[in-house]
Amino acid sequence: MTNLATAPVLEVRDLRVSYKTGIEILKGIGFSVRADEFVAIIGPSGAGKSTLIRCVNRLVEPSAGTVLFNGRDLLRLDEREMRHQRRGIGRIFQSFNLIERLSVLDNVLTGRLGYTGTLRSLFRLFHREDIRRAVELLDRVGLADHIDKRADQLSGGQRQRVGIARALIQDPKLLLVDEPTSSLDPKISREVMALIREVAKEFAIPVLCNIHDVALALEFGTRVIGLQGGRVMVDAPSGEVSQTVLNRIYDMEVL
Amino acid sequence: MAALCQAEIPRSARDDRLWVRTMDALTIVTIAKRRRSRRLGLAIQLAILALVLWSLEAIVVGDTDWKRITLASVGRALGRFADLDWRLLPDLLRPALETVVMATLATLLGLVLAIPVAWLGADNISPGGRVTYAIGRALMTLSRSIHEIVWGLVFVAAVGLGALAGILAMSLRSIGFISKMVAEAIEDVDPGPIEAVRAAGGSRFQILMFAIVPQVLPVVLGSIIFEWDVNVRRSTIMGLVGAGGLGLALHRQIVSYNYGGIVAVILSILGIILIGEVASSHARKAVL
Repeated sequence: MTNLATAPVLEVRDLRVSYKTGIEILKGIGFSVRADEFVAIIGPSGAGKSTLIRCVNRLVEPSAGTVLFNGRDLLRLDEREMRHQRRGIGRIFQSFNLIERLSVLDNVLTGRLGYTGTLRSLFRLFHREDIRRAVELLDRVGLADHIDKRADQLSGGQRQRVGIARALIQDPKLLLVDEPTSSLDPKISREVMALIREVAKEFAIPVLCNIHDVALALEFGTRVIGLQGGRVMVDAPSGEVSQTVLNRIYDMEVL
Repeated sequence: MAALCQAEIPRSARDDRLWVRTMDALTIVTIAKRRRSRRLGLAIQLAILALVLWSLEAIVVGDTDWKRITLASVGRALGRFADLDWRLLPDLLRPALETVVMATLATLLGLVLAIPVAWLGADNISPGGRVTYAIGRALMTLSRSIHEIVWGLVFVAAVGLGALAGILAMSLRSIGFISKMVAEAIEDVDPGPIEAVRAAGGSRFQILMFAIVPQVLPVVLGSIIFEWDVNVRRSTIMGLVGAGGLGLALHRQIVSYNYGGIVAVILSILGIILIGEVASSHARKAVL
């Protein structure tokens, strides 16, 4: 009987993904994420980082393997059950993926859609507690003055903060983050990464984060997983990742 | 050869002469190609001209009764319309209003009917894949292929004379344009928001309402406004098949050869259409 206090929140075993053309993108990935970790995934483009993230909440269908989320194998669930599980997994996207014409508040509230009924969704009648929580989270990420603005009126960094608030309002047990800083300039990138680390610690949510900026990965991640060619090349605490290992992952001089 | 010229290699005299001769050859070939394509263009234009002249001769010149058309006869015919039956105008107020209301109701009904057709005919969200997509597109084409007058005749036969037949006819005709515009907008949506709603555990309906509808709303509103404008025009002639509005008044004046009356109705039609133009351009500015 596993001790639930130390069982990993996410456990991936022998994950394989192939495109319809037959090319295998992920060739047997295995790793786990514990409740207090911030795991950064690094690797060259095409290594399969994005595909991996999207497999975890099954937006991409893997061809084989196991994805255990709090003990349940997500790959065995039907679509309806999977939808319920997705509520507990927050996503933060590279291109923010906000709904441009809606207000900042409405965007955050879409994070509660998994918990909101069809009729209420139709008329956008979210529960009062949800609205309150949305306002609180927007204040927490520093956007209290922008609650009623339309999403397309915000800057890149502000949009990503809305994305973070949207992920948090789901009450997630895991944060899946896909290149959160690729569309942001260096200064804003660090602020966003710092915010993600802060809120993850504050709400005790583990993070699995794709990032192409190795410096940020080593600084903000507690553990680093290096992917190359669809395989895990290294899986170690960030302090133990040497320059040699990095060069090997990227097949060139890094940093 | 060009790359060699741009490289910083010291060129010997031999390279220079080779380059010059290559450029000469290239120029000759290029000029020959231009001459050939210009000749081809000219030949095509002459062929089209010949086709147009032949069509004129065969269809227009042959079929027209040239003896009848003199400046005097044309002048006389047009002169009959220089009359205006003032007394008719107050009686045209109600039909004019009816015309506008018909157009409005028809556009709204057309929108309601167009939404499921657009849903079927959008290849990224069509529920039954290729089959339902084909059905959606077929419905769009059907709606646009049948002229509103024909739809009008169908509905007058089905529900009798009057405004209802006109409204139904125009709404069926409107489905084509509105659903096509909306389907294309749906196919163009940014998939990002869709992924975001799906990742938060949203259902298909919630994806539609939150990720898709807000993105296509401008197109929906724009096509409604445009179609309303067109329907005002259509509405004015629906009466020719007994389907109500100013068209009916026009029909009555035509059959009684009351040229002054015909002019009065035409002027009211013009008035309605002008008001429609102004209204729709203001609406479009407000929305977009």
